[in-house]
Amino acid sequence: MALVPLVPLLSVQSLSKSFDGVTVIEDCSIDVGWGEMVSLLGPSGCGKTTLLRIIAGLEQADQGTIHIAGDQVAGNGSWVRPEDRNVGMVFQDWALFPHMDVAGNVGYGVPRRKRAEDTARSLELVNLPGMQDRMPETLSGGQQQRVALARALAPQPTVLLLDEPFSNLDTALRRGVRTEVRQLLRDTGMTAVFVTHDREEALVLGDRVAVMDQGRIVQIGSPAEIYQKPATPWVAAFIGAVSMYPADADGSVAHSDFGSIPLLDAHQGPVDVAVRPEDVDLRADDSGTATHIVEDFEFQGPDAMVTVVNPAGIRLLARVSGTQSFAPGDRVCPAYTGPPAAAFARSDPD
Amino acid sequence: MQAPSIRSPALLKVVAVVVTVGFAFPAGYLVWRNFTFHSDPLGVLFSQRTQGPLLRTLRLAVLVSASTAVFGPALAWLTTRCDVPLKRMWQALLPLPLVFPTFIGAAALIRTLNPGGLLSDWLDNLGLVWDVEVRGLFGAWLALTLFTYPYVYLPVAARLRRLPGSAEETARLLGDSPLTIIRRVVLPQTATAISAGTLLVFLYAISDFGAVQLMRYDTLSRAIYTTRLNNQPVSMALSVILLVLAAAVVLVERGATRRFEHAAPVRSRSPVMYRLGRAKPIAVAFLAGSVALALLGPLASLGDWTIDGIRLEASGGRDLLVGWDDVWSPTWHTAYGSILAAVVSVAVVLPAAYLVVRYRSRIGTVANAVIVSAFALPGILIGLALLFWTLKTDVGSHLRNTLVLLVFAYIVRFGGQTMRTSQVAVAAVSSRLTDAARTLGASWVRRFRSLELPLMAPGLLAGGGLVMLSVMKELPITLLIAPFDFPTLTTKAFNSIEEAFVAEAGIWSGVLVVLSGVLTWFFVVRRADHFD
Repeated sequence: MALVPLVPLLSVQSLSKSFDGVTVIEDCSIDVGWGEMVSLLGPSGCGKTTLLRIIAGLEQADQGTIHIAGDQVAGNGSWVRPEDRNVGMVFQDWALFPHMDVAGNVGYGVPRRKRAEDTARSLELVNLPGMQDRMPETLSGGQQQRVALARALAPQPTVLLLDEPFSNLDTALRRGVRTEVRQLLRDTGMTAVFVTHDREEALVLGDRVAVMDQGRIVQIGSPAEIYQKPATPWVAAFIGAVSMYPADADGSVAHSDFGSIPLLDAHQGPVDVAVRPEDVDLRADDSGTATHIVEDFEFQGPDAMVTVVNPAGIRLLARVSGTQSFAPGDRVCPAYTGPPAAAFARSDPD
Repeated sequence: MQAPSIRSPALLKVVAVVVTVGFAFPAGYLVWRNFTFHSDPLGVLFSQRTQGPLLRTLRLAVLVSASTAVFGPALAWLTTRCDVPLKRMWQALLPLPLVFPTFIGAAALIRTLNPGGLLSDWLDNLGLVWDVEVRGLFGAWLALTLFTYPYVYLPVAARLRRLPGSAEETARLLGDSPLTIIRRVVLPQTATAISAGTLLVFLYAISDFGAVQLMRYDTLSRAIYTTRLNNQPVSMALSVILLVLAAAVVLVERGATRRFEHAAPVRSRSPVMYRLGRAKPIAVAFLAGSVALALLGPLASLGDWTIDGIRLEASGGRDLLVGWDDVWSPTWHTAYGSILAAVVSVAVVLPAAYLVVRYRSRIGTVANAVIVSAFALPGILIGLALLFWTLKTDVGSHLRNTLVLLVFAYIVRFGGQTMRTSQVAVAAVSSRLTDAARTLGASWVRRFRSLELPLMAPGLLAGGGLVMLSVMKELPITLLIAPFDFPTLTTKAFNSIEEAFVAEAGIWSGVLVVLSGVLTWFFVVRRADHFD
C-alpha cells in the first residue's frame, strides 16, 4: 500500500437489488477503510451474502454504486466483470477445484511466470508449506479452508471477501482457525469483509460490524458500540441476550420496578431499556417481601443464567456467578450494576 | 440457494436455436413434403396398403413390449435379489445382447434355430427332428425380445440394487410372505423403471428395420423401405403414419413419467436377499437359457459362418469375397463415422444442456424437448426424409452422398441420448467453482477449459459413448444415405446377409460385434448403476 489514501478502499453507496420482484438488498451503503476488517452480520436470508456477491461482481445490483480503491466498478451504467476487479473471495464451501492439486488451486489466479513462487509463499502464509501435491479431498476441513484462503490471497487482491468462512468447520476447530485467520489478515494488512450469521464471530473478527436485517444495514459500528449501544431493539436482541425491560425515563435515568438504570441518551416517559443479563445482580431476599421471583435457573459452568419475573409477568435475565445458586420460586432482589444502557421509547403503552 | 440471476448468454441461445431447428428438420420436412406434394396421406391411411403394415407394427411392438416387460424384470430380480450362483457373471453377461444390431441377431437366430441350422444339426446327431421355422411375426418377436430386453433389464436391475431394504424388512415384520412383499412393496417401487424401459422397447420395436427385414415381416418401416423407389407417395404416407405413432409414444411416455414420479430411491448398503430354495436349479437354467439364446447362440453362428467359408475356400470351393485388407476400410469408416457423430452430438447438445441446467431458460426447455423427442424418430424416417431432400431440392442436392449429411442424420437420430448425461455433467460443476474462478480473474474461455470441461468430461464421455455404440449398429440411415464410397460394417454385413454370402456376413458381423462389444462393456455394463 503505497500512499496514504484519502478515499475509502471499498465504498458501497445506496445499493439495491431484487430477485423476481422480491427486494433482497435495499439502499445499503458502507465504506471500508484501507486495512480494515468489517463483518456483515445478520440472520440467514437477510441479504448479506447477496451484498457480498454484488461487491465481487457475481451479481449485479439494480441501483447504487461501488468503488474499489477509488475506481468505480459498478453503478451509473458501468460494470466491471468480477474477473477484472481483483477481489479475492473465500466461499462458504470453499469451492476448491476438485480435479486440481493444492498447487493448481492456489496458483490458479497467479500469472504463470510467478505461479510456483507465489503459490509457495501463499501456502507458507496459511501455514501449509509443502502441501502443493495434495488433492483437496485428502485434506481435512481446516486445511481445505486454509487452501481456499491461500488461493484467494495468492493474486494479492485489493480486498478479500469471506462468505461464512468458518461455518463448515467443527465447532471445536472454529475458534482456533478464526483467531489464526484474524492474525494472518492483520499481519498482511489485508482489507476484508466477512459475512457471518454468528454474532460472536462477527464481534471477534470485525474492526467494525455492520448489522443487516431484511436487506437493510441497520447499524454500523465497532463491536463494543453495537453491543452496548444497539440502534434498535432488534439489534439489541440479535447481538446478544437481552431483556427489554419497561421503565419510566426521566432524563438520563430510567426508573424501573427494581431500581434506577442509567441511560445512554436522555428520554422522557415510558421506555424499554435494553438490559444485558451480565449487568444485573441478584441478591437472595431475606425479608420475604421482594416482588421478583426466580422462574428458571440454568447452570452453565463458569456462570449461570437466571430468569426472573416481576408480578406483571415481565421477564428479566440475569447472569450470575456459577457459585451462586437459586431455585425456581425463590424471591430475589435484582439490581442494575452495568454501564448506561440503551432505551427505546415505547410506542405501545402496555 | 438463490435462482441463477445472470441472464443466459446470447451465443448459447443462438446455438441452441440452430441445433433445435436441425433436430426438427427431418421430421418437419417429411410432414411438409407430404402435404405439399399431393401424396394424400389421409387417403392412403385408410387404404389396404397402409392398414396391414400399421397393424403388423402395432402387433409386433405390443408383443415385444409385453414379453420384455416380464423377461427383463425377471432376469433383474434373479441376478440382484436372489441367491443364484455366479451372480457377477450373469450381471456382466445379461446386458451384452445389446452388442448385436437386430439384423445380425435375426440372421444369427435364423442360422441357429431354423431347420438345417446349428440346433437341428446338433439334434440330428441325437436322432431328433427339429422343424420349427423362425420367421415372420414369431421370428421378429423372438429377435426383438432377445436383443432389446436389456433396455428393461438394466434400469430395473439398477433400481432393485438401490431400493432401501428397510421397506421390505418392515413388510416382513408386519407378516407379509416374500411373494406378497414383491407384489406390494417391490413392484410398486420398480414400476417406473419397468414402464420406462418397456416404452423404450416399444419405440425400438416400431422403428426397427433390421429384424423385420430379415424375418420378412412387413411392418411400417419395412414397407417404407420397399416402396421408397417405386411408390414414393405411399412410402411418404407410411412415414407420416410411423411419425405419428412415434410421437404418440413420446407423449404417452411424458404423461406416464409425470404421473409415476416419486422420490428417487437411495443407494442401500445391502438390499434384501431372497432365498430361492428348491427353485434354484430352475432359476439357473432360466438364466443359462437366456444367455445361450441371446448371446452364445448368435456368437456361435457368426463363428460357424466364418469358419465354414474359410474352410470352403481352403478346400478349393468358392473364393471368399473378402480379403483381409478389405476388412480395414469399412471398419475405419464405422469407427470414423461413429466417433465423429459422437463428438459433434456432445458439442451441439451441450449448449441446450447449459441453458436448461444453469440458466433455466425457456429456449433451453424447448430445445431439450425437441432434441430428446428426436430420439424417438425411427432411423428409416430420417434417412428417407434426407434422401428425398437431397433428391428433390437444389440446396439438398449439394449434400447428396456426403459424409456431412450422414453424420447429421446420425446426430438427429442419436444425439438426444447425450442430453441426460450432459445435463448431469453440467449440474456436476457447481456454480461456486466458476464463481471462485471468476474472482481469481479467469476469463470464460479459461474457466471452460480449466474447470468445466475437465469436470464434465466423464459425463460427456458417457453420452458420447452411447452415441458411438448406437451409430456403429445403425442400419437404415446408413443404407439410405451413406456415400457410395463409404461402406461401413453394417452395410457390408447387411448386404452379405441379404445376398447369402454367409462367410462374409460372419466376418463383417464378427468385427462389428467385437467393436460394439468393447464399447458396450465400457459405456453400458460398467455404468449399469447409472441407468436408473
